[in-house]
Amino acid sequence: MIFLFYLLSAIMIVCALLVVFSRNPINNVIYLILCFIAMAGHYILLNAQFLAVVHIIVYTGAIMVLFLFVIMLLNLNKAIIFRKSTVTRVSAVVTGGIFFLVLLAATRQTFEIHAKYPFNSDIGLVSGIGKALFGEFLLPFEISSILFISAMVGAMMFGKKDE
Amino acid sequence: MSALIFIAIFGIIVLYLGFANNKAILAPAAIGGLLITMALSIKDWGVGSKYFHDMIVVDNFSIAFNVSMLIITILIFLFGVNYYKRMEHHVAEQYALMIFALTGAFLMTSYSNLIMLFLGIEILSIPLYILAGGKKSSYRSNEASFKYFLLGSFSTAFFLFGIALVYGASSTFYLPEINTYIAQFNGHLPPMLMVGLLFILIGVSFKVAVAPFHFWSPDVYEGAPTLVTAFMATVVKTAGFAAFYRLLGMGLLPLPAALEKTLWVMTGLSLLVGNLAALKQSNFKRLLAYSAIVHTGFMLLAMLSQHDSAGSVLLYYTFVYSLATIPLFIIFIHMKRSAKGLEDLVIFRGLYKQKPWVAVFMTILLMSLAGLPPTSGFMAKYQVFTLAISQGYIAITIFAIVMAIIGVYYYFYVLREAFTDSDEPNPILIPFLNAALIVVCGIAVVLLGLFTFTIPI
Repeated sequence: MIFLFYLLSAIMIVCALLVVFSRNPINNVIYLILCFIAMAGHYILLNAQFLAVVHIIVYTGAIMVLFLFVIMLLNLNKAIIFRKSTVTRVSAVVTGGIFFLVLLAATRQTFEIHAKYPFNSDIGLVSGIGKALFGEFLLPFEISSILFISAMVGAMMFGKKDE
Repeated sequence: MSALIFIAIFGIIVLYLGFANNKAILAPAAIGGLLITMALSIKDWGVGSKYFHDMIVVDNFSIAFNVSMLIITILIFLFGVNYYKRMEHHVAEQYALMIFALTGAFLMTSYSNLIMLFLGIEILSIPLYILAGGKKSSYRSNEASFKYFLLGSFSTAFFLFGIALVYGASSTFYLPEINTYIAQFNGHLPPMLMVGLLFILIGVSFKVAVAPFHFWSPDVYEGAPTLVTAFMATVVKTAGFAAFYRLLGMGLLPLPAALEKTLWVMTGLSLLVGNLAALKQSNFKRLLAYSAIVHTGFMLLAMLSQHDSAGSVLLYYTFVYSLATIPLFIIFIHMKRSAKGLEDLVIFRGLYKQKPWVAVFMTILLMSLAGLPPTSGFMAKYQVFTLAISQGYIAITIFAIVMAIIGVYYYFYVLREAFTDSDEPNPILIPFLNAALIVVCGIAVVLLGLFTFTIPI
């Protein structure tokens, strides 16, 4: 288990770095897909099978493949080199560095967290999630439909041709 | 709670009314629905109950803010009757999206769980990203929509990360429990919790456009269709501040010293940056955007003065500010139309000569924004300052008063244009409904200044 954890983490970190450093958009997307698959492996290690499956189907299967299609259809698969002024680069590095320091300080001094609830091995299974969604989290679950309908209305508004 | 359910369903009904192919019925139907929602809201006054495993708390605070936002939205829909007359497509969608956004705003006033706050902010934001791009053929509208979407998702990511960190530390989303969890540390918070709270505050500050998270607002205000800008400047700001107040009041107060200092610095920065940038603006919408940032500073001042009456002061301030802003946008759109699409301040030239009564009402409204007596804007600022002084924040109050005085300059710069004669006067047409709106809002701004209200919330 520990070995698997470190293996998956290493794959994730390497792929995430390659997403940033690779110049070709298609390679970027493929590395991101690999990163997502490794993340799904983490979910399985945590006994959250449902989340892992949904993650693969939705993010990897649907969204990232859509990305890939868009890149191919729009013929964007050329290496792009961004040229930025020195000021932008330096300020970006400084900002990112400060952000990294804050996060590092926060995680380095992290205190031991005592789990409030005992670990429940069923929590990641379909029945557990279903009970949580239609029990305690019923209202957020239902009200998020407003979010989706407004997003769909937006897609129709922008996508439809006005005659 | 029935009001929330009704308005969520009502948005879909308005969406379907678009099939009727009759634009004239949309605004009356939408306004009728909002009136029913208002009645349903007021019915719950004084009851104070929690719903759905304490996800939502309907108390007097949320009802008062909801009713205030409903009144403002009704005014905006009345403005829309004329505004959307020339628009051929997707008018029903515009109304429906604004109602959906209002649903999100309702959640933001009545959440007691960080999940509901997140959903509320998103339900408010996503219709706004779409509405900002409502003029599909306009390049600037597209830019506004895209910019708002990108920066908004960025801030959402921060906000969500903050929630995750706070949950990781405290293992709860429920605000009162987070409050007791924070209290046990006596001000020495563990770093993970601290970073989480900071990220949550950044996310909310972005939504209300507090400096230094204000960079999106002038561009979006300028590019978005004027009616949407009016909606963003009023309803969205009110909802954002209600959410901010509830977050502090229910969850985070008394703030840890480091976060409180951060918020005070943000207050001072909003006042300073907004004022300095507003002095330089020649575009009216950008001017109002920067003035909105300054007003954000005043509202933050009221909110950080931790007192029971702060909620009422905040409600009065946001309501009065919205009441003065909407007719200014109405006047602006008619001047813009008569100047053939120009948005500079020079388009107000010759207003006094042609329509003296509009110029008079514009004076009242701008005086209210600047905070001059006897308008209600003065009373709002006066209440904020007395509240801040009574809590012992003398230095920042003096700074805010100086900033309020500087603000008079750029509001009166607009007025000077309105009272200057134009070289080539264009005919200004103001339809009856919009004229009535300007008059009613102008009179209400004065009356609310004479008879101030405080609501026990």
